Amino acid sequence: MKNKNTNYSVQHALYLKKIKRNKIIVHAARALILVALIGLWELCAQVGIFDPFITSSPSRVVTTIADLFAAGTLFYHIGITLMETIVGFVIAVVLGYAIAVLLWLNEHARAIFEPYIVVLNALPKIALGPLIIIWMGTGYTAIIFMTILVSIIVCIMNMLAGFVAVDKTKQILMRSMGANKFTMLTKLIIPASLPAFMNTLKVAVGLAWIGSIMGEYIVSRAGLGYLIVYGGQVFRLDLVMAATFILCLLAGGMYAIVAIVERVVVKRRG
Amino acid sequence: MNLRFTDVSYTYHTLSGETKAVEHLSFEVEEGEFVSVIGPSGCGKSTILSLAAGLIAPSSGNIARGGGQFGYMLQTDALFPWRTVEQNIFLPLEIKRKNTPEMKRNALMLAEKYGLKDFLSKSPSQLSGGMRQRVALIRTLAAQPQTLLLDEPFSALDYQTRLAVCDDVHDIIKNEKKTALLVTHDISEAIALSDKVVVLSSRPARVVGEHEITFGGGSPKKRRECRDFAPLFETLRTELGI
Repeated sequence: MKNKNTNYSVQHALYLKKIKRNKIIVHAARALILVALIGLWELCAQVGIFDPFITSSPSRVVTTIADLFAAGTLFYHIGITLMETIVGFVIAVVLGYAIAVLLWLNEHARAIFEPYIVVLNALPKIALGPLIIIWMGTGYTAIIFMTILVSIIVCIMNMLAGFVAVDKTKQILMRSMGANKFTMLTKLIIPASLPAFMNTLKVAVGLAWIGSIMGEYIVSRAGLGYLIVYGGQVFRLDLVMAATFILCLLAGGMYAIVAIVERVVVKRRG
Repeated sequence: MNLRFTDVSYTYHTLSGETKAVEHLSFEVEEGEFVSVIGPSGCGKSTILSLAAGLIAPSSGNIARGGGQFGYMLQTDALFPWRTVEQNIFLPLEIKRKNTPEMKRNALMLAEKYGLKDFLSKSPSQLSGGMRQRVALIRTLAAQPQTLLLDEPFSALDYQTRLAVCDDVHDIIKNEKKTALLVTHDISEAIALSDKVVVLSSRPARVVGEHEITFGGGSPKKRRECRDFAPLFETLRTELGI
């Protein structure tokens, strides 16, 4: 338990103050860098050092987003990409976890499938793009499939590594109590590998975004990746920058959610 | 007789070859007796416990078990950090499918008796090393084993905690009238705790000496103070070849 004592000594109060001040400095510096970069970008575009046709500018990005919103398509594109990413992410994590469990349960299967997993992991998934279009069509199923493909292998490998790394002493203890493999899994392996699971979620969330945007690059009629590709093709860099900016916010937000979930889960475990 | 090894040998097989861990080993543990097995490190002491628990089968020879369950206590407390102390104590009951209200009540009574009452809802991480080891012992006792197998259960503790926990565990085991087989490399620990000490050779482990200990009246602290302690220590040392 945290010590709730507030009768700190003067030195301790100073120490806390110093920590707090350092924290403020870091946050302030972060904000300042962002504001400076955006300001400089806007300035260069206004003054004419940059050609805004090529580089766009913060004000033009804001206008573009406002236009998309006015046209009613902003949330449509965001929704499509978000749906593809989340569905792909969830399926990849659930399926990857299940496969990792099966591989953990059966050592033979682990040995047999290992080289396949390694090759699949090394393969640049975008190479499968044409195949995916032919098999899955040009709808969002293809993009979700791409998302799963990009993130599932890491889910399998991370979780399997997490399972295998569970403390051997605890496994011996379980065996000495007469636990079978299934009990071992439910009572020890799964709870003990929770930190590995949280870590897997964090990695998978990033990969899911790569998968969905990559999928939209290959084939799509809507979504943020579509806006970026379309904007690039018709040389509307405002659109490219606006979509990229929104993407930044969404990806950061989703990662933050996972990180918060992790913190809550880890805290509850004590 | 509670546990008897007769001419037991065990060989490990790995790709790089085979290792004889234990060879022609014979000894006996009587009901209610506290027996320690000491030997040089790496001599296959833990193998003996795995054999006794039936986790592995002997390559040759015979191990007779005289009824009752076995409980294993390991080098580290191996408490599950995601479970409270109480849930940790219930673990063997859940695994052995014996988590009846009666068994649970018994386990809680044990916990209470040995001073864990105020810690039941705490997480193991909030406990000191000595307290954690006590929880590990109560967890082992919860399934009501007749015999306890102790694999250097104090080796992860610092010396001062170790002395205290050593006495603590001894008293609880004696109090609950359990049979115990302890493996350790610590000579003084073996003398302080046991009714009998079995000395093993280096690998492959064979018995090189057996000593019944009667002095000191059965309390580890009194044993350590007894003047028979030092001579026996020297004898065991010689037998171990140090």
